[in-house]
Amino acid sequence: MNTSSRTTVIVNYVLLTICALIAIYPLVGVFLASLYPTGPGSQPSGFSLPPTYAWHNYVTAWEQGKFASSFQTSFIVAAVMVPASVILSVVAGYAFATMRFRGSQVIFWLFILGLIIPTEATIVPLYYDVRAMGLLDTYWALIILETSGEVAFGIFWMRAAFMAAPKSLLEAARIDGANSWQTLWRVMVPFARPAILTLTVLCFADSWNEFFLALVFTINKMTAPAGLASFSGRYTQDIALVSAGAVIVAIPILVVFIFFQREFLRGMLTGAVKG
Amino acid sequence: MEIRPEVVEGSVASVDARRRWTRGGRKQERLPGEARRIAYVYIAPAFILYAAFNLVPLVQGVNISFYNWDGITPGTWAGVSNYGDFFTDPLIREGYVHVLQLMIFYAFLPIVLGLFLAALLSRIRIRGLTAFRLVLFLPLVITDVATAVAWTWVYDVNGPLSTFLRAVGLGSLVPAQGWLGSFNTALPAVGVFGLWGAFGFCLILFLAGVMKIPASLYEAARVDGANAIHEFFAVTVPGLRYELQVVLVLSLIDTLGTFDEIYVMTSGGPGTATSVPAYLVWRRMFQTAQVGSAAALGITLMLIIFAVTWAANKLMDRWSDDE
Amino acid sequence: MASSGVRIKIALTVVAIAVVGVACTPGGSVTQATAPPAPAVTGVPDTGPITLTVWDQESGQVSKVWDQLNADFEQKYPNVTIKRINRDFGELKTLLALAMSGPNGPDVVEANQGWPDMGHLVKAGLLLPLDNYAQAYGWNTRVSPNVLRVSSWSPDGKEFGTGSLYGYTTMGEIVGVYYNKQILSDLGLSVPTTFTDFEQDLETAKQAGQIPIQFANNDAFPGIHEFATIQDQMAPTSYLTDLIFGTQRDQLSFDTPENTQAAATLQDWANNGYFTPGFGGAGYDDSVSNFAKGQGLFMITGNWIVANLGADNKNFGFFPMPPANAGDPPVATGGAGFPLAIAAGSDHPDAAAAYIDWMTSDHASDLLLPTGEIPLHNGKTPTVEPGTVLADVVNAARTVGDANGIVPYEDWATPTFYDTLTSSIQELMVNRLTPDQFVRNVEADYKDFQTSRP
Repeated sequence: MNTSSRTTVIVNYVLLTICALIAIYPLVGVFLASLYPTGPGSQPSGFSLPPTYAWHNYVTAWEQGKFASSFQTSFIVAAVMVPASVILSVVAGYAFATMRFRGSQVIFWLFILGLIIPTEATIVPLYYDVRAMGLLDTYWALIILETSGEVAFGIFWMRAAFMAAPKSLLEAARIDGANSWQTLWRVMVPFARPAILTLTVLCFADSWNEFFLALVFTINKMTAPAGLASFSGRYTQDIALVSAGAVIVAIPILVVFIFFQREFLRGMLTGAVKG
Repeated sequence: MEIRPEVVEGSVASVDARRRWTRGGRKQERLPGEARRIAYVYIAPAFILYAAFNLVPLVQGVNISFYNWDGITPGTWAGVSNYGDFFTDPLIREGYVHVLQLMIFYAFLPIVLGLFLAALLSRIRIRGLTAFRLVLFLPLVITDVATAVAWTWVYDVNGPLSTFLRAVGLGSLVPAQGWLGSFNTALPAVGVFGLWGAFGFCLILFLAGVMKIPASLYEAARVDGANAIHEFFAVTVPGLRYELQVVLVLSLIDTLGTFDEIYVMTSGGPGTATSVPAYLVWRRMFQTAQVGSAAALGITLMLIIFAVTWAANKLMDRWSDDE
Repeated sequence: MASSGVRIKIALTVVAIAVVGVACTPGGSVTQATAPPAPAVTGVPDTGPITLTVWDQESGQVSKVWDQLNADFEQKYPNVTIKRINRDFGELKTLLALAMSGPNGPDVVEANQGWPDMGHLVKAGLLLPLDNYAQAYGWNTRVSPNVLRVSSWSPDGKEFGTGSLYGYTTMGEIVGVYYNKQILSDLGLSVPTTFTDFEQDLETAKQAGQIPIQFANNDAFPGIHEFATIQDQMAPTSYLTDLIFGTQRDQLSFDTPENTQAAATLQDWANNGYFTPGFGGAGYDDSVSNFAKGQGLFMITGNWIVANLGADNKNFGFFPMPPANAGDPPVATGGAGFPLAIAAGSDHPDAAAAYIDWMTSDHASDLLLPTGEIPLHNGKTPTVEPGTVLADVVNAARTVGDANGIVPYEDWATPTFYDTLTSSIQELMVNRLTPDQFVRNVEADYKDFQTSRP
C-alpha cells in the first residue's frame, strides 16, 4: 500500500468519523443534558459531563409528563396495529403475487397511490368520520387509521417478497393437494419469513413514531411522541427534564433498532439496492 | 425530518413496479398467474379498510374544499375560491416558498454531500462499515419529536451551538433571539435539522449503490485517462441513478409534508417565518375554523406532491434513457 | 407509469367514487341550544351516580386549588365524580370546538371569551344559555354587568356582548406593570404617574445597565399584552371596547393614528433595547422566573403570575400602566377571567350548574385569591396583607374597575385575530413591519371578518 492510498484511507476514516459524530452529537448531548441537576443556575453546556448525575430526572419526567399513560397507549396501539397490518398485507400481497384476476392492476395501483397521498389531504374529513363513529380519543381510532395507511406499503412489500418465490414451490404445494389458503400458510409464509419480520419491525417503528394522527385524534389517550410534545411545550424552562422526556420516548425504538438492525437496514435499503 | 421507511419503500416500489410494468406486459415472468376469483376474498379486508380511510376521505375532502365551512355550522358553497386562495393568500404562498427553501436542506444538500462522500469512500474498503451505518441511521430511526426536542435545545440562546460559537470567538454570529426565534435563522435552522436527518440515509444508500458498480467501469475510465472528477461524473453518478431517483422523489415528498418538526420546534414562528402548508392545514382546521380552506390546502398539497413525484421520475427516466 | 388502459381504469374508479361522495353540504343543520328551565331546587339532584367531565386550562397554583375544589365538591355531593381534563391554553383552543361537537364531550368547559372560542361554540349551538341558572343561583347580582357582558351572545352567535349568558366566572384579571422595588429605589425612581414618566424610567434603567422590561415572546401571546398596555393609553377606551365587541361592524377600523402611534412606541422600545435581549427566542415561563429572580425593573403581564412571585412577597409591586396625563382615569386590559360554560350535549346540566356555582362561590374565591385571581364579587373586599404584590394587584384592579377603565382582550375581536395580532407584533418588534404596515395588516383581518358577518 503506497502512501497516497494510505492518506486516502485516513482521510476517509476521518470524514466518516466526523459524519458519525455529527449524527450522534445531539443525541448524546441531550442524554447528558438530561442528567444535569434541575433548578436555577444549572445550564447544561452540551460539552461537558454533568456535575452530578441526576438520574432522578427520569422519575420526575416520567411522572410529570404522564408517560405511564402515553406509553400504555403507544404499546396497546402497536400491539394491535402491527399484527393486523402484517396479516392483512401478507394475505393481500399473496393474492397479488400469485393470482390473476380482473382489476388486479387497478386495485394494486390504488394501493400504491396510498404511498404518496399525504395525511394532510384526508385529515379534515377523517376527523369528522372518526367522530361520527364515536371513536375520537380511543385506541381504535389510532389502530384503524395507522393500519389502513400501513397496508399500502405492506401489500407492496409482501407482493414483492412472494413474487420472488420459485415457481416450483407453488407447484409442489399444488401437487400435494393444498388449496390456496394452505399454500399461503404452509409454504409461502415460511419462505417469506425474513420479509415478514422486516415488515413487522417497520410497522412497529411507524406506529411508535406516529405523531400527527395522535395529535389530531386523541385528547387524553396521547401516544408517547404526542405526550412528549405536550410535555416539552409546558416545561420549556427545564432543559434537563424535557431532555429526560425525549430520551424516555426514544428508548423503545432504540432498543428495537439495536435488536433488529438488520431488518431495519434491509427494510430501508433493499428496494434500492435491488434496483 | 421524516423519511418514513414505508415511503422510502413506496417510492422504490413505484420505481421498481414501473420497470416491471413497462416490460411486464410481454414478458410474463410472474408466478403461476392462476385465474382465481378467490383473490378478491384475500384482498377485500385490506382494501375495504384502506379505501374507507384513505380513498373515501379523499373524495369527502374534495367536497369540503368547495365550501366555506367553520367545521360546525352548515357550510356555504364557495366554488373554487378556496383553491384561488393558493394564488392570492400571502400566507399560503409564503408556506410554499418556505417549503422550496427547505428543499435545499432536505433534498439538495443531503444528495450532493452524500454523493460526494460516497464517491470518496468508494475508493477503499471500509472496516467497521456496519457500525458507521448504525450510527448514521440513528437520526432517521429515532422518533422525530424526540430529535426535534433535542435540536430545540441545541439551538437555544444558551445551547450548545451558541456556546460553541462564543467559545471560538464567533459569539457575534449568535442571533439575539436565538436560532429558532429569529426571523432570519429560524427556517435555515429547521433546514439543518432536516439535513441532519436525511444525510445519513443518503450516504448509506449511495454507498450501497457504489459498491455494486462494477470495478471494470472504473478501470476502463482510468485507462481512458479520466481523473477523479471525470470518474465521478462518468461512472459514479450514472451508476447511482436509481438510488438518486429514489432519494430525490422521497426527499421532495418528505419536504412537502413537513409538519412534526415545525410543530415541535417553532409552531410556524417567529411571526410566520417557518409556516409550511402542512402546518397551515392543521392550523386552519383546528385553530381558526377555516375548515374548507384547510381541506383545499390538503388537496392542493397532494396534487403538488403528485406533480413533483411525476416530474422527478420523468426527469430521472429521461436521464437514464440517455445513458 | 402504468399502461394507458390501466390509467384510464384508475381515473374512472376515482371519478366513480367522487360522484358518489361529492355534493353534500358539510355541517348539517345546527340546532340552537335552548336554556334549560330553572331547577326547582339548586344543587346537584340526587338521581344516582353522575360523572361530570370538566375541561380546564389552569396550571400551577390555580390548578392545585382546582383539585381541592373538585374534591370538596365530590365530598359535598357523594353521587358526583369529577373527571378533570387539564390541558394548556393552546391545546384546549385546538381541541375544544371540534371535540365538543361530537359525542362523549365534556359537561363543563373553561372556554376563552371572544369570537374565536366562545363565539364559535355559541354559533354552533354547543353551549347552553345559562340565564335560568343565573336567575336561580343569583349569579346576575353577584358580579357587575361588565363581567356578564363578555360572556353574552345573541343565541345565534352573531352578536357579541349582548343577549344570553353563556359562561360565568367571578374571578377577574388585569394586565399591568410589575416592578422590582429594590431596583426602582436603587435607580432613585418612584412609581411613575404618567406614561412619559414611565418611558423615562425605561431609559434610566437602560442607562444603568438594568433590563428595563423583562419580556420573552417565543410563546407569541405576551406580545399582545405589551402592545395593549401601550394602546390602552393612546386610543379611547370606548373605541377599543366597541372594536373588540364588533358592535359597529366594519364602521370601525384598526388603522387609526392612535394605533399606529402605539405600534411605533412599541417598536421604539424594542429598538431602544428596553426589552430583555433575545426576547424572541425565550419562553414566557423563563421570563417570569427570571423576573422573580431579580432580573428586570418592570414586567408587563397579568395578575396570573402573582403565585410565581409569591402572593405575600413585598419585594415586588404592581401598578396599572399610567395614563398620558397625570390624574386621568387609569385604563388597563383585563376583566373577567376564563368563564365556565355548560356543553349543550351534557346529560347533567343541573349538576353542571351546581358545579359552576361551587367554583364561583365565596369559598372558591378565598382559595383562589392567593394565586392572584381577583374576586369580582359585588361588595366583597378581599382581605390581603398590605404592601404585598397581591395587595397591589387587587387594588389596581379595583381602581381601574371603579373608573370603568377595563378594556377586554383584543384577541377576541375576530376568529383569526389571535394569530394575526401575535405574528404581526412579533414582526413589528424586529422591524420587519413598519407601524403603518402593522396596522394595515391587522385591519385587513378585522375588516375581512366584519364584512363577512351576516
